[in-house]
Amino acid sequence: MTEIAPAALKVETRLVYAHGLAAIITLLISVAFGVMASIEMLVPEAGGNLPWLTWGRLRYDHTQGIMLGWLGNAFFAFLYHAVPLLTGRSVTSARLGQWIFGLWNFAVVAPGWVLVLAGFSQPLEWAEFPLVIDAFVVVALVLVIVQFLPPFFSRGLEDLYVSSWYIIGGLVFTLLAYPMGNFVPELVPGARGAAFSGLWIHDAIGLFVTPLALAILYFVIPAATRRPIFSHFLSMLGFWLLFFLYPLNGTHHYIFSVIPMSAQMGAIAASTLLGLDVILVVANLLLSLRGAGLFPRDIGLRFVATGTVFYLIVSIQGSVQAQMAINRQIHFSDWVIGHSHLAMLGFATFSAAGGLIHAWQRIPWVRYSGPMLSLSYWLLLAGVVIMVSDLTVAGLVEGRLWQSAAPWMDSVRAARPYWVIRTITFVPIAAGFLALLAGLVTGERGGGLQAVRDSVGLEPVAEIAPRFVAADL
Amino acid sequence: MKRALRMSYLVAGVAGLGFFAMSVLLLAVWPGRVLEEQVRRMSPGHPLGLTASESRGRRIYAREGCAYCHTQQIRYVASDAARFGAATLAWETIFDYPHLWGTRRIGPDLSREASARSSDWHLSHLYSPRSLVQGSVMPAFVWLFDGAPDRPKQEGLDLLAYLETLGRDRALAAPEGEGRARAACDCSDDERLFAFGSAVLNASPALARRQGDHPKLAPSGDSKKGRQVYSRDCASCHGLRGEGDGPGAVGLHPRPANLSEHEYTLDRLSFALWNGAAGTGMPAWRDLPAADLAAVAELVRGFRAPQPEPAIPQAVLAVGAKVYAARCAQCHGEKGAGDGYAVNQFAVAPTNFRTQRPSLATSLRAVRDGIEGTPMAPWSSELSEAELSAVAYYVRGFFDSQ
Repeated sequence: MTEIAPAALKVETRLVYAHGLAAIITLLISVAFGVMASIEMLVPEAGGNLPWLTWGRLRYDHTQGIMLGWLGNAFFAFLYHAVPLLTGRSVTSARLGQWIFGLWNFAVVAPGWVLVLAGFSQPLEWAEFPLVIDAFVVVALVLVIVQFLPPFFSRGLEDLYVSSWYIIGGLVFTLLAYPMGNFVPELVPGARGAAFSGLWIHDAIGLFVTPLALAILYFVIPAATRRPIFSHFLSMLGFWLLFFLYPLNGTHHYIFSVIPMSAQMGAIAASTLLGLDVILVVANLLLSLRGAGLFPRDIGLRFVATGTVFYLIVSIQGSVQAQMAINRQIHFSDWVIGHSHLAMLGFATFSAAGGLIHAWQRIPWVRYSGPMLSLSYWLLLAGVVIMVSDLTVAGLVEGRLWQSAAPWMDSVRAARPYWVIRTITFVPIAAGFLALLAGLVTGERGGGLQAVRDSVGLEPVAEIAPRFVAADL
Repeated sequence: MKRALRMSYLVAGVAGLGFFAMSVLLLAVWPGRVLEEQVRRMSPGHPLGLTASESRGRRIYAREGCAYCHTQQIRYVASDAARFGAATLAWETIFDYPHLWGTRRIGPDLSREASARSSDWHLSHLYSPRSLVQGSVMPAFVWLFDGAPDRPKQEGLDLLAYLETLGRDRALAAPEGEGRARAACDCSDDERLFAFGSAVLNASPALARRQGDHPKLAPSGDSKKGRQVYSRDCASCHGLRGEGDGPGAVGLHPRPANLSEHEYTLDRLSFALWNGAAGTGMPAWRDLPAADLAAVAELVRGFRAPQPEPAIPQAVLAVGAKVYAARCAQCHGEKGAGDGYAVNQFAVAPTNFRTQRPSLATSLRAVRDGIEGTPMAPWSSELSEAELSAVAYYVRGFFDSQ
């Protein structure tokens, strides 16, 4: 067991703070893109027929903003908190951190949005920013690796905690997968390019979002509950199965297409096994949470616990919808939009928000408002549950009409009431995110530390780090 | 021990990279080779590729996010094949850098859009979708136009040109191309069924056709249904009272028929509803239930206000007959059935006067001024005023209300 001396740690709290605020600001902007797109599905002229407010361009900016702006920044904020604690080493350089922050927000997210609105984009899912932006993303990802991975290696790899595995894996594989999804389809046409796209559509979630979100879950749960993870063996088994299975899922986005059936079948089998593996991972996480209650008092932990449950539901849903009999019915429909919101707004957002709040609680000089964050939690929970249920039913209705001989427009007309409800869920969701922002910029300075003391009666940082050591591996 | 541990991390690292590499090999590189081989064996000899205008149109399609509501991928399932047509083959997208397959359908798939609808319909629809399709949620792409649906900018023309390429190569290669692809296809029975099984490549219910069977619609008494369907699907172009003045009419050439100025047989309306009017903006409505079509036909027949029919002197009719035989019969046919020998020269079928009778005013206007957007020429410079009105009277006599 390696002892970690928290006193020697330098956590770059200013970078946690900067990425945290950037995360929530880009989140609010991305939500604005999303709700505008959803309103245009009810009132198509709502954008005044201006090209830069047209549905397609808003739709591109919505998902890119969520993935790169919100989740990217939130993950980086969390890494600035977690990597020193996991390794006992500081990140490579604060100056490098400023460069990454600047590149990510002012050379990727902001210009990416503007270029898409101006009509420069790429019609590939999770890859909508134009190629010039992709080049900056790759540079930034390299710098992110330079920033966060050396502490792991300089410390030596013995007793690597599972969060560390996920961080290393997530960052390395994102760097590998990103060019595959963003550059290759420009060079390889049609069906062959679609095969690469299929991989990236899944890898964006499976190799970027999921590993970093799981790193948060595995980090925050033991840190906040003050108990080691239930089983390090299950953690590692889950990790390796995920990294084996996730990349093999990609082709399930193109079932019944011209892509060879054996590749489709392989992806369907991998999707099924992935669902089973997630049961394993989530069981381990929930067992680690036992005693904390369904809605823990610690608000960071509460977000994380709910993120864990969403992860289970969305993964099982994913396995189910990859099955041919189901896929035949619901592919192309709002069911899938519900699924992606359950993944990104449910699992990933709740995990990222939990990680951000957890890190925030441990910065003595930032403001923190527990009641606001609690309000945020309930608003977001209500919003996600209503939106996803609504879209799931909408998808079933659309799928049934598409199977029948009914005119196409019947499915558009039938979906309308569900789209109205979906747009209304904007209210709790946007209010929830505003409350999240308020929770992190209003209230007492150092209120987070006080909240942790109140909920567990212990000083936060000193108690946490040793718990991660993989004693029973 | 330390060394063994370090080795294990090395092994783990290599294994991790191996997993990723394996996924790329198994799910992208290897399928890519299979697809490449399929393209080689199954594609027609010389697929057309895209012109400069079509390529620009493709970029507009990509830029505006069209692929996020319209797929270009007919799946190998029965519902897709029935709704859209033959399932998409690998070679059909070989010019797509990057591909535009899409994973969401809010609007219909567009893989077989070439020739499915008229150009003026497309332009009007791009300019103002809800003027033609009530309840559509498509954005109005007004910036591709110069203020009117029939004044597209180059960008509008480019996008239209691109839409006309979707499925074009496959349609042009048929039937030899279909035979060749079918023979070369190393596919399962299901795949063969969905890719080659249907009688038509394009199953679009809106695809207009000059000839074809149509159901014999029975007279319908369901006027409520008729009004409901008409105001939903027809009034956008033909106007609420059938006067051809709906909001979608402005960009269509020829203008939508003024239904109140014509007397139609039920069979004529059945044909038009089932097969559309090829060469015009009037799509077919084969996706509507026969009962709905019958109710609409009944309503349409009721739009015509009965007018006094003056008796026409025999001498006038004789002049009309002579002019008709000399000037009109080559297109409209000797007996007015729209079956003259020149019929197949024209994109729009000449009026069949046996099943459709224009009002006197409409008949006169047509023969004098021609019908814009059709091959029907103005005859006022060729014929005297007396001849014009004589032939306008004469053609109305062909009508056979049975």
